[in-house]
Amino acid sequence: MRTGHYKETYGELIALSDSGVAWAWVAALAAALVLLPLLVGNYTLSLAVSVLIAIVGAIGLNLLTGTTGLISIGQSGFLAIGAYTNALLATDYGWPVWASLPAAGVLSGAISLLVGIPSLRLKGLYLAITTLAFSFIVNYVILYAEPLTHGPNGVFLNDTTFLGLDLSSDRGLYYFVLGVAVLVTLAALNLLRSRIGRAWLAIRDHDIAARAMGIDLVRYKLLAFAVSSFFVGIAGGLMSLQIRFINIDVFGFLLSIEALAIIILGGFGSIAGTILGAVFLTLLPEAIRIVLSLFVDPQAPAYTKYIYEIRGIAYGIVIVVFLRFKPDGLIGLWRDVRKYFANWPLAY
Amino acid sequence: MEYFLFLVSSGLVVGATYGLVGMGFAIIYKATGIVNFAQGELLMLTAYIAFSLASSLSLSLVPLMIVTIPIAMVIGIVLERVFIRPMLGEPLFSIVMVTIGLAVILRGVTIMIWGPDPHEFPTGLSTQVVLIGPVPFYQVQLYGLATLAAVTLAAWAFFRFTRLGIAMRAVAANEGAAMLMGIEVSRIHMIAWALAAAVAALAGILFASMFKLGPTIWFEGLRSFPAVILGGLDSVLGAALGGLVVGLIENLAQGYIGQGLREIAGFVVIVVILMLRPYGLFGAREIERV
Amino acid sequence: MKKTLRMTLLAVGAALMLPAMAAAEPGVSDTEIRIGDVNILTGPASFIGQAVSVGSKVAAAEINAAGGINGRKIVMKTEDDGYVPSRSFQALKKLLEVDDIFALNGTSGTANVLAMMPLITKANLPTVVTTAPNELVYNPVRPSVFTIGASYEASFYAQLKYIHEKLAPKGAVYGLIRQDDDFGVAVEKGYERAIKEFGLKDGIRLRYKKGQADFAAEAVQMKAAGVQVLANGAIIAQAATVLKETRKLGMDLQVADVWSEIMPPSAKLLAPAGYSYLIGDYIAAMADPAAVKWMEKFKPYMTEADIAAVNRYTFITYAGLKIMAKAMEACGKDLTRACTVENLRKIKNFDTQGLTAPVSFDNERQLGGTAIKVYQINLADQSFKALTDYQEY
Repeated sequence: MRTGHYKETYGELIALSDSGVAWAWVAALAAALVLLPLLVGNYTLSLAVSVLIAIVGAIGLNLLTGTTGLISIGQSGFLAIGAYTNALLATDYGWPVWASLPAAGVLSGAISLLVGIPSLRLKGLYLAITTLAFSFIVNYVILYAEPLTHGPNGVFLNDTTFLGLDLSSDRGLYYFVLGVAVLVTLAALNLLRSRIGRAWLAIRDHDIAARAMGIDLVRYKLLAFAVSSFFVGIAGGLMSLQIRFINIDVFGFLLSIEALAIIILGGFGSIAGTILGAVFLTLLPEAIRIVLSLFVDPQAPAYTKYIYEIRGIAYGIVIVVFLRFKPDGLIGLWRDVRKYFANWPLAY
Repeated sequence: MEYFLFLVSSGLVVGATYGLVGMGFAIIYKATGIVNFAQGELLMLTAYIAFSLASSLSLSLVPLMIVTIPIAMVIGIVLERVFIRPMLGEPLFSIVMVTIGLAVILRGVTIMIWGPDPHEFPTGLSTQVVLIGPVPFYQVQLYGLATLAAVTLAAWAFFRFTRLGIAMRAVAANEGAAMLMGIEVSRIHMIAWALAAAVAALAGILFASMFKLGPTIWFEGLRSFPAVILGGLDSVLGAALGGLVVGLIENLAQGYIGQGLREIAGFVVIVVILMLRPYGLFGAREIERV
Repeated sequence: MKKTLRMTLLAVGAALMLPAMAAAEPGVSDTEIRIGDVNILTGPASFIGQAVSVGSKVAAAEINAAGGINGRKIVMKTEDDGYVPSRSFQALKKLLEVDDIFALNGTSGTANVLAMMPLITKANLPTVVTTAPNELVYNPVRPSVFTIGASYEASFYAQLKYIHEKLAPKGAVYGLIRQDDDFGVAVEKGYERAIKEFGLKDGIRLRYKKGQADFAAEAVQMKAAGVQVLANGAIIAQAATVLKETRKLGMDLQVADVWSEIMPPSAKLLAPAGYSYLIGDYIAAMADPAAVKWMEKFKPYMTEADIAAVNRYTFITYAGLKIMAKAMEACGKDLTRACTVENLRKIKNFDTQGLTAPVSFDNERQLGGTAIKVYQINLADQSFKALTDYQEY
């Protein structure tokens, strides 16, 4: 354990990390991520892309729900907006991906202000239900605004490239999504250590007290909505790049629940936790598949018939068990483990 | 005119199911302060249990309801004990999230037990059409309206006259003070879940026999949110009225504007209502002191 | 140090990739051919996937019992997508990368095939689409994709034509209700075509949201429009609810329905409303001689559960794999994807023993088996009687 470790200036207190060891580990992780495509097959790589997209989206949700305390169960709506914006701009209007992807985020962020406005008057559960209503309305608009969105037919994405990376190849897409995920993570980390991040935390803990301390609730709540939905919109855009065909069935209600499960599992308000949660939950179906295949014949009807239900139940159990026994999520678990070893043999 | 009456009648029929589901939400919210996102799944599970009972014992609608209610109440109590009680003292947000997790679990378990195929729900009622004035109803639809009326009346009497009902209102008004007055709050929570499950069972049986019993029936829970928001989350009677109003709005929107608008009309209403009256039409305004 | 590490990793990576490159053609070894199947094995539409699996299984068993394809046995690899397009994409990705399939026979719903399309095109994967004969699948045509079956458009056109000519009173008012997705669009096209060609009275067109449960208002709208012939584009439980509501309002209707309503569980839901509805299908009904003969022949290959799962999707998937087998056989020992696609394109009048009309892929849309039979339900025993023979529309 590090001792005699004082923070003497404000800058040191809010630094991302002051530990050389931590930076070294981050560098190792970065190197591993860069080399990953050389080590694994395309299927694993495509799973990795799903994980990275989940990270981007869940970071967005965590800023809103975990950090600012505004519950949203309508994330699928913002994902849909992002995915459709990116796909339509790229396909129908020929925008390059460096323009269409940010546009996906911006539009999603702008539309989120519409939901954000009731949030100024609504608290907690009423707001959650509004976001749910919103996601249904988004679905409806996409289906019925056919001249603009292709309605029920869905949208195909053309092959795209970015700075010479072929985004229709697994490897190209992986590096692109990795880059976006890193940028989003850094942006979120830096936001959280700024005045904005601290204001959000204050609002979460007690919004009236926060207001008494001079935080403009209107501004910061709306900002939380906009920033969060910007990231979620980007995640939606990335989804469209990965699947390369989107229609409204992709954005079911279960996606919103999965997003919540990720941040609950990872730990509210923690970026590192969100990343852990996204990795764990995205790979959970694969893990279930592998574990089950050890015990039952993978072609057995009972297995194939209920794998989806089993997966759903597993999500539910993860949510319930973590909230009950480990409310601060995987990241809390990790802190406990670290503390245990740091204090060993005096740990209890 | 006939057109309008037909739409009104069909609106009231579907509104009755919204109202019943909405009352379940309101009962739990009133007593415990949480929105039970698993209300639709409670409906699903109890409807499937009722389906098994109806097929094996060949009960008709009313006896079936009477048999299912106690089973549903036990389920409600067990779920509260296993999932909600241990969370006592945790932030409300976490408890609400637990109900979301519970919802996903119940849905999966129900489908694993009863399979994914839709079923015709056996009610033993005749499918002869009953004419009230010019407006035709199926018998089961009239039973639906009657059930809503009966449950609303019972709820009103319960909260107005019984010791338990008054205790529940006390807990809703001020949990700490209620506890000091000797009310066992955890018992009240348990009873709220039992009652909500009972109402869910009624709603589930009616919905399944009016439409179909299938694996997407849980969605009825989400569909009923507009009803309970309109009435105010903590107003049980408001939810019943809200259900009827939302049913009417949906059907009139479909009938006069059309193009699938029915499916979101309720949600548009939610957004509008919440912007104008953040605590619903009949909900109590929360005054916060810092 | 770093450099050597990187070199080592590169070498390891290259070594890992080698086996895949060494094999001449993915999914083919000296003894077997792996064929993929992405389908709906879970959720409300799982009856489709279950039936499809049986069809593939029976066809593979029959082919293997006869010595396989030039000595190679067919091995089926099945993945579930739960009817969610993004999961279809992941499932096919897994089949291609992990299970190393040679060709694809089961393809789930329309949006699901479309989601898999980029992968199919890229791998030039020989694909027979049997459960999603939608125009979006074959227009624009993808070189390696072959489709069996008539569109919903043709199915509804055929039924409405029959109703117009034989059943409906003169000057009857027609009405349509359809789902708000790609499938609904196809249904409406068929309706539109019938209205235009026969100069029918178009009373009302309604769209409903996928997953909707209550159709009372729609029924009221139809009654107000005076509908006498209903093109009922709702499916299964929803189709039943629509008919229940129109019956409540005392409407006397001729009903055209979606072909999913020919299956026994669905017929059981619809029959109580008491309409002798029609179906236009490109696959033999269970009571057709062709289907009866098929069941007789293949009972030994199936378990109890399989037999219970058999429906129209079984027959068409069976036919699909048989056609695929014929194309692969024609390649001889040197089996490649390109050669299989080449031979699929040459398929002409493939005889499916009456399960469908003869299938030909030698047209520019690579689409066959599009002839439709119109059936009518017999309400007493819920069986279906063919009113016409296979006919192109």
